Amino acid sequence: MNRPSTKLPGAVVVGLILAIVLDTFIQIAWKLSVSHVPADASVSATIRGALANPLFYAAMLAFGAQLFNWLRVLARADLSFAQPFTAISYITVLAISCHSLQESLSVSKIFGVALILVGVFCISRTPFRTVGVGDRNPANLDSPQP
Amino acid sequence: MRPELTGICVLVAAMVVESFAQMFLKIGAAGGPGILSETCRRLVGRMPFGAIAASWITLGIIAYGLEIFLYTLALHFLDVSVAFPLGSLCFVGVALLSRIFLGEMVGRIRWLGVACILVGTVFVTM
Repeated sequence: MNRPSTKLPGAVVVGLILAIVLDTFIQIAWKLSVSHVPADASVSATIRGALANPLFYAAMLAFGAQLFNWLRVLARADLSFAQPFTAISYITVLAISCHSLQESLSVSKIFGVALILVGVFCISRTPFRTVGVGDRNPANLDSPQP
Repeated sequence: MRPELTGICVLVAAMVVESFAQMFLKIGAAGGPGILSETCRRLVGRMPFGAIAASWITLGIIAYGLEIFLYTLALHFLDVSVAFPLGSLCFVGVALLSRIFLGEMVGRIRWLGVACILVGTVFVTM
C-alpha cells in the first residue's frame, strides 16, 4: 500500500525520550502530591490535599509541557508507532519506586520489564511513519524517508 | 452488577476514551482531518469546526479529562494490580483506531510489540 519510512528523525527520538521523562515525572509527582492524604479520605479531602501540595502544580506544568511535546511527536510520527513507547514509563516508574522504597525486584517483574522492552524494540523496528498518511497537511515537517 | 465487573466495564470505557483522545490529538497535530480516510473526511466535513486543527486538540484534551475521571472511578472498584494491566489495553485501542481511521500501517511486528507490552504489564504488576 505505502512505502515504509524507516529512518527515525532526531526530533522524534528527542520527543519520545522527553515524553517518557515527563510521563515518569507526572506519575511520581502526582502520587507524592496525594501520598500524605489518608487512603480512606473523601474525594474532596483528597482534592484539597493535592491542591495544597506544590508537587501537584509541578505535575500540572509537566502535563502542559507533555501535551506540547506530544503534539510535536505526533506531527512527525504515526500514532501507532509513537504511543507504545510511553510504556517505557511503566519501567522507569517501577525503577524509581523500587529504589525509593528499597524493594527488591521479583522475577515476574523483571520478566515483565523484559517483555515491555522487547515489545518497544519490535515497534521501533517498524516504519515510523506511513507514507501517504498526513502528507496532505503542512504540519508534517519531516519528509518521509524511503 | 458485581463491583469488580462494574470496575472492569468503567476501565474498558476509560481505555476506549483514551484511544479516541490520542486519535483526536493526532488529527490536530497533523493539521486537521486531512489524514482521515475519504469516508471519515466526508463525515467530519459536515461537523462544525471539523476542519480546524485546534478543535481536534481541544476535543483530545476534553476526552483525556473524561478518561482521567473514568480511570479514577474504576480504581474505586478495582485493585491496582488489575487496573494497571487492563489500562494497557489502550495500546490495542490506539493500534486499531490508527489502522481503521488514520490508515496507518499496523503490521504483524507492530502487533507483536503491542502484545509483548500488554503481557509485560501483567507480569510487572504481579
